[in-house]
Amino acid sequence: MNLLSMACRYLRFRWLVTTLTVASIALGAALVCAVLALRYESDRALSRDAGLYDLVVGGKGSPLQLVLASVYHLDTPPGNLPYSDYERLRRDPRVRWAAPIGLGDNYRGYRIVGTEPHFFDLTDREDEPFFRIARGRIFDDRFEVVLGSQVAKATGLDVGDQFFGTHGLVPVPGGEVHRDFPYQVSGILDTTGTAQDRAIFATLESVWEIHETEERLHSAIQGNALLGNGSAREASAVLLRLETPGLRLWMTDEIGDRSDGIAAVPINEILRFQRGVVGPVQQSLLAIAAAVVMVACLTVFITLHQAGERRRRDIAILRSLGAVRGEVAALVFIEGLILTGAGVLVGLLMGHGGLALASGAIRDATGLVLEPWRIPSVELSALGGMLACGAIATLFPAIACYRRTPIADLQLTD
Amino acid sequence: MQLHLGRADHASSLRFRLPAFDAAAGETVAITGPSGCGKSTLLNLVAGLRRADEGEVTVAGTDLATLGTAGLDRHRGAHCGMVFQTFQLLAPFTAIENVAIGLRFGARTSSHPRVRAGDALRRVGLGDRLHARPDQLSVGERQRIAIARAIAGEAPVLLADEPTGSLDPTTGREVFSLLRDVAAEDDRTLLMVTHDPALAAQLTRTFDCSDLVRPIGINPTEEVSTT
Repeated sequence: MNLLSMACRYLRFRWLVTTLTVASIALGAALVCAVLALRYESDRALSRDAGLYDLVVGGKGSPLQLVLASVYHLDTPPGNLPYSDYERLRRDPRVRWAAPIGLGDNYRGYRIVGTEPHFFDLTDREDEPFFRIARGRIFDDRFEVVLGSQVAKATGLDVGDQFFGTHGLVPVPGGEVHRDFPYQVSGILDTTGTAQDRAIFATLESVWEIHETEERLHSAIQGNALLGNGSAREASAVLLRLETPGLRLWMTDEIGDRSDGIAAVPINEILRFQRGVVGPVQQSLLAIAAAVVMVACLTVFITLHQAGERRRRDIAILRSLGAVRGEVAALVFIEGLILTGAGVLVGLLMGHGGLALASGAIRDATGLVLEPWRIPSVELSALGGMLACGAIATLFPAIACYRRTPIADLQLTD
Repeated sequence: MQLHLGRADHASSLRFRLPAFDAAAGETVAITGPSGCGKSTLLNLVAGLRRADEGEVTVAGTDLATLGTAGLDRHRGAHCGMVFQTFQLLAPFTAIENVAIGLRFGARTSSHPRVRAGDALRRVGLGDRLHARPDQLSVGERQRIAIARAIAGEAPVLLADEPTGSLDPTTGREVFSLLRDVAAEDDRTLLMVTHDPALAAQLTRTFDCSDLVRPIGINPTEEVSTT
């Protein structure tokens, strides 16, 4: 019987204390894993979404609000801008790709985004098509729509199905349903892992027509209803890809100076948002996680110390059988490493399992599409640090066992 | 085995001196005397659990004073099989595992320790309780495990500290007979501390420790500090 199997047997023998100690470490590790993984995943997801477009142009207001509304389908757009602005931008030689979007309605909480067919020509940064059709085709008819993968999954809609949009960007009880304008699903997109999975893409004309006909010109989006009557047609925002990212700031200033709208660089707005709002929250969570980890390490120390006290007689017996001091110290050390290792492993699974369970709610609430089982390197470093802390906490009881003389402890009775 | 001691400590308030003491291979010696006279200390000195202040303790040809702490541990494992009044078994482990652990740290053999442990347990009559934990066994059976653990290796010296002290008279006699017979069959030296004159009379020799204790202050010239 080697030291490892002996250590395992002792841990099994004290199963309750072992379980509680592992749970304590696991809790700390889970918190660390969840916070770090969430930070990594949110950074990655936000950057991925924001990196799709070089510029977003919209009505006067908050650039962040414009980005959140047009890229992440979260906030309300700050205002509309004339459709002619989009046409002008599209003709600009510095613009590689441009697409207007028009907002106003939702279906079961998923936004109906009016746009034009060439929106689906968008490529990623490697020039590969960003959108791929999983089933059906891109819309042809004015009242056909293409569903993001998450929408199809959540609503159960399939190609050929019909539904009615509801007035407003968020579902409200008793919200008015546009029963005169049934939409028909023409296609369903592959999962992109971005906020686009949560959108229903319709034609911009359909959005205009619904809001013109029902005369909700100034009530759809906090007074910023989409206008579509002839020359006064409007868009909620225009999404742009430029010939080179170096043109972003130049064009941002130019658009701000020459039009009634504003332009925002999505990645800049998101980074600013992360540094200003998300960052401090994450730092606080990490500080809490570090405190939990310290408490967990203290628990390892206390557990092993108490176990050592309870096992003074056993240690003395082993010494009486011929075990040298290093062997009994190693036995205690191995127990501590097993406790810490098991706690870290369980914590890793708990942290990422929790993230996996929460990813749906996070996606619905924020639009962030997470890959919960991805383990970033920073997390591995943190877990390595936890193991090191556990090893240090284990050293003290191991040294105490090393230094004990067996003679007094052998006189303890059964 | 030879034990030539000048003075040794017993407790912080008592000092005693042992006269020259020799035990040959196969000899069975009863260590007798009142409580606190140094009987157990004598066993501890032989096992290397204590060091003598002066004199010489030689076990199986090795002067224990020349050994460091690890050397004493290894000496104990290789040369001394210990049996205690309170059995001193490891609660989480089964009978066969307790004996195998004794072999692992004692004989330090890698050749089928479980087979050898099983053989030792069968020899003490526990062939059908190999996989029972100590708390599932009677006190007599527990002491048999302790004896099996002591004899499983090749230790030439068996040190038994009141091995029948926690047992009823009948079980005590059985355990004593087992210990004595095993020592005789294997030609091992047995040093057994006992308060029972009837048991002592059944061993080849009795060593009485009655006059070894010297409370501090009675004869300062004979006292030395402990190590």
